[in-house]
Amino acid sequence: MTPTPNSDRLVDPALTVRRDRHLIRANGRSERYLLVDVVAPAVAPDPNRRRPPVNLGFVLDRSGSMGGQNKLGLAKQAVVEAVQRLEAEDRFSVVTYDDEIDVAIGSVTATPAERARAADRLRKVEARNSTNLHGGWLTGCEQVAEGLEVNGVNRVLLLTDGLANVGVTDHDELQRLAAELRDRGIATSTFGVGTDFDEALLQGMADAGGGHFYFIGDVAQMRDHITSEVGDTLEVVAREVVLELRLPESVRVEPLTPFRVDQRGGTVRVSLGDMVSGQAVSIVLRVTFDYGEIGREVGVDVRITDRDGAFAAAKPALEPVIIGWRYGDHAENDAQPRDRDVDRVVARLFAERAKQAAVRLNREGRYDEAERAIDGVRKRIAAYAGNDQELRRLAEELRAERPQYAAAMPEMRRKQVHYASSLSLRSRTVDGRAQKRS
Amino acid sequence: MPDDPFSLSDLARLAGVTPRTIRYYVAQGLLPSPEAAGPATKYGEGHLARLRLIKRLQREHLPLAEIRGRIERMGDDDVRELLDANTEPPVQPAPAATLAFVRGLMVQSGVQPRVAESRASYPRSGAIFEPMIPDGFPTPALPPPSVSTPAVATPIPSVAAPVSPGPLPRSAVGDRSTWDRHLLAPDVELHVRRPLDRQLNKRVDQLIRIARELLAEEP
Repeated sequence: MTPTPNSDRLVDPALTVRRDRHLIRANGRSERYLLVDVVAPAVAPDPNRRRPPVNLGFVLDRSGSMGGQNKLGLAKQAVVEAVQRLEAEDRFSVVTYDDEIDVAIGSVTATPAERARAADRLRKVEARNSTNLHGGWLTGCEQVAEGLEVNGVNRVLLLTDGLANVGVTDHDELQRLAAELRDRGIATSTFGVGTDFDEALLQGMADAGGGHFYFIGDVAQMRDHITSEVGDTLEVVAREVVLELRLPESVRVEPLTPFRVDQRGGTVRVSLGDMVSGQAVSIVLRVTFDYGEIGREVGVDVRITDRDGAFAAAKPALEPVIIGWRYGDHAENDAQPRDRDVDRVVARLFAERAKQAAVRLNREGRYDEAERAIDGVRKRIAAYAGNDQELRRLAEELRAERPQYAAAMPEMRRKQVHYASSLSLRSRTVDGRAQKRS
Repeated sequence: MPDDPFSLSDLARLAGVTPRTIRYYVAQGLLPSPEAAGPATKYGEGHLARLRLIKRLQREHLPLAEIRGRIERMGDDDVRELLDANTEPPVQPAPAATLAFVRGLMVQSGVQPRVAESRASYPRSGAIFEPMIPDGFPTPALPPPSVSTPAVATPIPSVAAPVSPGPLPRSAVGDRSTWDRHLLAPDVELHVRRPLDRQLNKRVDQLIRIARELLAEEP
């Protein structure tokens, strides 16, 4: 394990774990929800601290459609500006692709001379043919791999406005590759521009690749989004953060938040990816218990690890959290209090997932099913909302939104709804940034 | 990871057994005795691992006596190893392996990027070929392998500059070998560092011959 530079300057990490209910049923299966909030340590002000170096591979689509609305021009501009924020310890490269792939700038260290040259070289890039997203992406990975910083943040930023139609186009295969590359040290973030790209693919690659997905509905946002992703890499304090839960092997755990989960025996590992200074992430897990004898207790031990040991090194040290449930009879179970905060987060999560499902169904022309997806969740939330104002508001919001799914939605609207939900599910702000401790 | 001690009830909850079972296993010699007795009794990670292994073996319908026979002489590490038998350790990224992996994927699917523009930068950015090419290549003295752009004429400090935490720079001096360029086809070159030993030299000559034949073929 390699400590990050001056890791003793990392302060105030946090880990809180809450249950929706603390009793489980002795006769029959129980499903309970677990809400885990993780806050990455913040970097204490220290002029001497050196952040980990970054190694960024920009991969730009220059297929014909990118010529419209000056999309390519804005993307190039954003890359030039982003590169100016790097320092001589960092590396960058730029790959452009259509059906052919060009390494416009091979992996270089971000010296002032190279940064100045980047603008020159990019000026020559012009929009052309079709889209070999796979080949462009792999070439970007190759450039990043050539200067792989074992102690740094290595990330490819893949931008497209179209569908992958040359090279490997299979979603599962591309996601599998993104996951494999992540394990080998290269993360992938994706940027979809306009309405013609495939959000399931780009979102899937970013999730599997340990990066982030950005939807650029309005080309004017292009610069902001690329800048904020680059800023994110500059602020990383802990790489490949993992939430680790240990619990009896008979207990099943499923994630409701879209983080990669790996359950082996009694250990469940939830991969949260790289976290920036003070970033807050909420994870919701559904925990399923078999029946058991009344009075017996079942517990889970929750802790955080990361590749750099940043959480372990931060002050004050985080204690692992042990939280338990107890088997009780039906009457006890029905009468037990609920943690309304957990209920609210879980309800919000189901609502966002339902909206994404409804968007998919709407796109396939299955309007009735789209409406039913929304209505099903609305009913469930309304059923346990009781007097809770926030839950009732959420149910009302779903009721009001439902009719829009009953007929073909404009593609722009679909992408907006999908994106808003996907940000909410991943603890990111409405403009795609990492949420910070409030 | 620190070996945080557990109380009896925590240990029971984490392993999914009752405290009574734990006391019974200790009495039966299936678990080592805890460090102290009384209300302050503390159990460690080793206890948890052993309990998990016992439960797993029980699911395979092994009687307790048989289980005791198997695990009583095992150290904590053996127990953990057996528990993790199907757990692969996380891959630590290794630059050379990652690069080889990506290039393998590119070859597999015929991805052939053009690097014309950046090729001019190879001589200054030593890391480009770093993981694959041995000492001595590329050097600032070597002319760029393709059409040079005006930028190349300006001497640029190599990445060997002390500020760079990147891969170590390759030595350009103190090495009498030289790089030979062999043109294989109008747009394809092979670079060989000489001298080579005789065996390798023969094979490189063979490679050049085969490559030229291959590249001359009509597609």
